[in-house]
Amino acid sequence: MIEIEIHDQSCRGCQLCVDICPTKVFEYDAAQAKAVIRHAEDCIACLSCAYLCPSGALTHGNYHVVKNFYRDLDFSQKMEKFL
Amino acid sequence: MPTLLETRASLQEAMVFLGALASGIEQAIGESANSISYLAGKHLGMAFSEDAPRTGDIEQALRSVTEILQKNNCLWQFEPFQPHDRPALVETTDAGDQVLLVFRDCMIRQSLFRFGHHQKGSLCNMMYGFFSGALLNIMRRDSTLEILHAGENGCYKKLTVGRTVSADTSLPERG
Repeated sequence: MIEIEIHDQSCRGCQLCVDICPTKVFEYDAAQAKAVIRHAEDCIACLSCAYLCPSGALTHGNYHVVKNFYRDLDFSQKMEKFL
Repeated sequence: MPTLLETRASLQEAMVFLGALASGIEQAIGESANSISYLAGKHLGMAFSEDAPRTGDIEQALRSVTEILQKNNCLWQFEPFQPHDRPALVETTDAGDQVLLVFRDCMIRQSLFRFGHHQKGSLCNMMYGFFSGALLNIMRRDSTLEILHAGENGCYKKLTVGRTVSADTSLPERG
């Protein structure tokens, strides 16, 4: 299962994550003025919330990272020796 | 024999070219570009699923589509998704049977990101067309694939398969 965490001290309660999440993983806690995770099991790891969060308060774990394209084949081969 | 690295590099170059082409067509002819991409995807879906077994079961049909994509080395990994507030994976509505799908690896998304093109554009309609073509062959039903959310690492879509059997007489009869 995908793990998702909100760093409490970083969250500013802007609710961008609440608005962007397509599966309603987050809710806004008015008392704390912060976002809270309500349905972590519904996270599809689109990572839109993490990209959007202005404070970088969201982290995901145990998710499938999409296969990115190579930037440049020759460059990638040269870089391989450093990896 | 080409190595996997070379094959992937060729695929990348083709998709980057396709991404640039789609972006250019969008600028030139606007929303009509969607129809072109949709039809290209539909023809591809129909061609790939020509020999796929027929079924009326939507879950079985989706498994067939996955097999077809894998068999043709297409980087379009998807899976059905059931959120906590949805009673069943397949929901029956007036429009037809609906299933939510999560798309992870997608060569279209990577093509768009390579040049900073926006998502939900004409090239994304190719996937809609592919499903439409493949499901028309497999289930003999018309379908729509609506993009609910396009994310950086995954997309969320709603597949609706109509209940009426397609009247398309160009479809070959199979047992």
